[in-house]
Amino acid sequence: MAEPPTAGRGLVLTAKDVAKAYAGRPVLRGVSLELRAGERLALTGPSGSGKSTLLNCLGGVDRPDSGSICFKNQALELMDADGLTEVRRRDIGTIFQFFHLLPTLTAAENVELPLQLNGVARAERTDRVRSLLERVGVAGRSQALPGELSGGEMQRVAIARALAHAPAVLLADEPTGNLDSRNGAIILDLLQELSDETGTALLLVTHSGAATHICHREIHLRDGLISGVRKADTD
Amino acid sequence: MPDQPHVLRILWTRFAWRHWRLAPVSSWLLLLILALGVAAFFSIRLANEAAVAGFANFTDLITSESDGLITAPVGPLPTAVLKDLRQLLGNTPVNLVPVLETSAVPPRRAETEGIGARPTYQILGLDLPALVNLSSPAYGGGLPATASAEASPSAPNQPGGGLRTNAVYISAALARRDQLTNGSRLSLVINDRLAALEVAGLIPNRPNQPAAPAGLLIMDLPDLQRLTDKVGRLDRIEFVLEPGALRAERWAAIKQTLEGANLPAAPRWVVSSSAERREAGVTMTRAFRLNLTILSLLALLVGLYLVFQGLNGAVVRRRNEIAILRSLGVTARQIQQAWLVEAAVIGLVGGLLGLALGWLGAQLAVQTVGRTMHALYFGRNVDSAPFDFQEALIALIVAVAASTVAGWRPARLAANTPPAQIASRTGTASDPGGRWLQRMDLGLGLLGLGLLLTFLPPLRMEGGARLPLASYATALCWIFGAGVFAGQILAGFARFFQWLKWDSVPLGLACSHLRKPSGRHRLAAAGLVCAVGMTAGMAILVGSFDTTMRGWIARTFQADVYLSSDGDQTASSINRIAPATWESIAKDPSVKQANVIQGRELILNGVSTLLVGHDPRFFRDYSKPAWVSAPQDDTVFDAARNDHLVLASESFSERFHVAQGEVVQVPVPGGFQPVTIAGIYADYGNERGAMLLERGQFAKWFGTEMAASVILALQPGSDPEALRAKLRAAHPGLGVFTSGFLRGEALRIFRQTFAVTYALELIGILVAVVGLAFTMTSLLWERRNDLATLRALGLRRRELSWAAALEGGLLAVAGLSAGLLVSLALGWLLIFRINKQTFGWTLQTDHPWGQLIILALLVLASATLAGWFAGRWSTRLPAEREE
Repeated sequence: MAEPPTAGRGLVLTAKDVAKAYAGRPVLRGVSLELRAGERLALTGPSGSGKSTLLNCLGGVDRPDSGSICFKNQALELMDADGLTEVRRRDIGTIFQFFHLLPTLTAAENVELPLQLNGVARAERTDRVRSLLERVGVAGRSQALPGELSGGEMQRVAIARALAHAPAVLLADEPTGNLDSRNGAIILDLLQELSDETGTALLLVTHSGAATHICHREIHLRDGLISGVRKADTD
Repeated sequence: MPDQPHVLRILWTRFAWRHWRLAPVSSWLLLLILALGVAAFFSIRLANEAAVAGFANFTDLITSESDGLITAPVGPLPTAVLKDLRQLLGNTPVNLVPVLETSAVPPRRAETEGIGARPTYQILGLDLPALVNLSSPAYGGGLPATASAEASPSAPNQPGGGLRTNAVYISAALARRDQLTNGSRLSLVINDRLAALEVAGLIPNRPNQPAAPAGLLIMDLPDLQRLTDKVGRLDRIEFVLEPGALRAERWAAIKQTLEGANLPAAPRWVVSSSAERREAGVTMTRAFRLNLTILSLLALLVGLYLVFQGLNGAVVRRRNEIAILRSLGVTARQIQQAWLVEAAVIGLVGGLLGLALGWLGAQLAVQTVGRTMHALYFGRNVDSAPFDFQEALIALIVAVAASTVAGWRPARLAANTPPAQIASRTGTASDPGGRWLQRMDLGLGLLGLGLLLTFLPPLRMEGGARLPLASYATALCWIFGAGVFAGQILAGFARFFQWLKWDSVPLGLACSHLRKPSGRHRLAAAGLVCAVGMTAGMAILVGSFDTTMRGWIARTFQADVYLSSDGDQTASSINRIAPATWESIAKDPSVKQANVIQGRELILNGVSTLLVGHDPRFFRDYSKPAWVSAPQDDTVFDAARNDHLVLASESFSERFHVAQGEVVQVPVPGGFQPVTIAGIYADYGNERGAMLLERGQFAKWFGTEMAASVILALQPGSDPEALRAKLRAAHPGLGVFTSGFLRGEALRIFRQTFAVTYALELIGILVAVVGLAFTMTSLLWERRNDLATLRALGLRRRELSWAAALEGGLLAVAGLSAGLLVSLALGWLLIFRINKQTFGWTLQTDHPWGQLIILALLVLASATLAGWFAGRWSTRLPAEREE
């Protein structure tokens, strides 16, 4: 595992006793965690353990039935739908297993979208998109539609899109789950580098052992409960 | 794998049926839309059948079905013919039923001042005492009965047992409606007089025959002859043979005898069998009924467009389920069959629902259709349309077949869903119609083919009607051609808005979907092109018609006062003004000049038209005709020199293919008279066409001075209103109108005729917008993962709704652009081809820009709103994600 972030960095995200059930079936049964700026946290566990549900609650896409989630000292449960949208738009970047690039937008337009949503001026947007695409190594494919990109290229574009508006937290749901091992490794390296460069906190849902190695901590979920926490190896 | 019926059963019961049950609102909506289409088709066909059946069966209500009849070649038959027939037929066992017919209306009241505001009755004059012969059960016992139980049952009137003067038999429907009983008085205008009739009994219902309609009255023949100034004259004589074997053969022998007694140069009568007469009615109205059937098929087509959209959307929503079934071993063929069965079941259920709705609709439509046929073709009316199992079966087969055809493409899409789809979360879109709607060569080809078809003449049908089939095909080619181009226009607009670089995320998203439009987008745009093109094209036709009519009415009604029998309500009216009446009016000191109009229906080359006797000089001076071919000199207007010269209407010239200078042989009593066409004038009052002959010659040829109408020009300074009041007081049976009133009425009737087109326009727009809403919901369902992504990226629900609204709005802009362009071409086609070929009328083109702008704004607003609602709905869709 990677080295832990410099001590004294502020808390970005706090979850306390978060519980959620679907159709009477409990999926999360009181999960608590903290995430600091620049920290990379791996969320692992078998299928059905509640990883994605927790990620959705932390990202403000879903609401917990009970418990509290604080994002930069703001309680998400007290926010209305527009407030949650505002948080997602401004402070959260999301990376999905199946990339979820918008199929009718070019790679550049996909990356530009969060900047547009945040009202960034056109000239600045153009510069930032260009530099991000260069940084993730797909500058030459900026005008390609998602259907014309390979899996690895799509996930690079997705990472660029997630980081475009410099969010405080990057939520990544199995970002390498749909890639071959070589491309998976490249993407993990990229996430680590970018997280270090930008100081963005990363919450990584993964099954992959390789993915946990880039994180400072690993939380293991089982049946909606935290069954174990592992800190970075120091050896 | 061989097809296994149990797999189909499982697919239907476990999947299709459950989906329908889970979404009852959308299921019923789809069924209702199809049912409405079937209902329109079925009701119009039922109403047609009933109206045509009404043509033959009025006398049958009384006499049992007659075997045949004779009429005069032109005008009435003298009663003396009966005696000749008796001698000719000797002891042949046949009953001769002399018939006289006329129409009548109740007297005018303040609230029924407008033309056509009063009900028209058809009065049948029959020799009631003689009909006693036909009252035996062998003939079906069809004599009139005493009116209702409460109507003095102690003193029934027995036909042949001493009838009261002016006794009339009425239908049970009329007795109920107007609460009439035996002895009730019925005041009606017949010719130019008020007649007081007394109810003497009910017309009986005969087994297996429709009930007598409310508008039918029966009188004793001599009474009606006296009331109509036709003493000694008949309209026809019907022949009723005794029921039994070889009836057809016996009639054939009688027919041969009757035809053998005719002189070829001067035939005394025209013999026709009942079947031929029915066929004549069918033939006469074939084009009219075909037009109605085409219109009703359009309604069905519209329903099917929505069935296609609905099923297509269902395939999109159930794609994962289909993929799972495929991965479990269900074959593509079985999936396709299951979807086709689903489409057929929609057709069947929607069809059955449509039959019920259609039957109800037919009861309303039959009166409208009957009235139109009554006005245009023959003086009959009907009240109800009986359920016809054969027509119902046809409608049901059409519904099931058409629904299955509409489901064909969605079924193919479903069958082509790969099992691998189950593993895919990228939401690959299906693309119905994507390929052929992108083929520019197809679009150009259709536009070119349409242009070529405009050069073809109309189809000439029996009965003189012309059906512009090639022009209809042109309209279809142009609409579909423009529909193909709508996709290109859509992409162009999207690129244009992107080029503007407006900093709007919803607009950017909307344009990103449209710059390479999917087949679904193109199909929705094509649907809008179709609706807008037809609606705007129709608006251009109606606008042009309106302008032309206003000009024609202003020119035509320039005399001061117009007179006709107050019984005149329709073009087929046969009421007349007696010479004593019009002669006395013409001598009024305030009258400067009177134009006495006489008219007679003629059959030329088997086609019905009109010969009118008039004063040509008056026509020239007070009607200011618009000439299609002006007379070369003044001869036709000079009574001393215009022997055998006529003016023909444009419709006549088109209908009979005759030009200025050509000679037409006119049938008159005792032979033919040649007339030469001296000029052709525009006339929008009559599609059958007319020839105008100097009245003196008309009266001489037809031996009558009865006038159809009289037009008066007054002395300078005379007050038309004062004369109108004076004439109304002196002649209560006369309709007296000033030119101002007639102009207003003519315009009102014209606009009323076209009122239905506005309803059709609204329906067209509604269907296109509903189609667009279906398209948007399917598209958004396919994109639900993208929508979830956008929500995760921070897009608000209202921004997503606006993106969908803008997408719908841009689709509407593309549909409107191509639709309005094609409407200009369709307007030209309707005015200069379809209208000209059908009615023979030349119209002045006038584009109602105000209406077209309102239409465009309405479509744009509706489409944007539909998109917005679909967008709002889509923001609540669950994404296909785990846990």
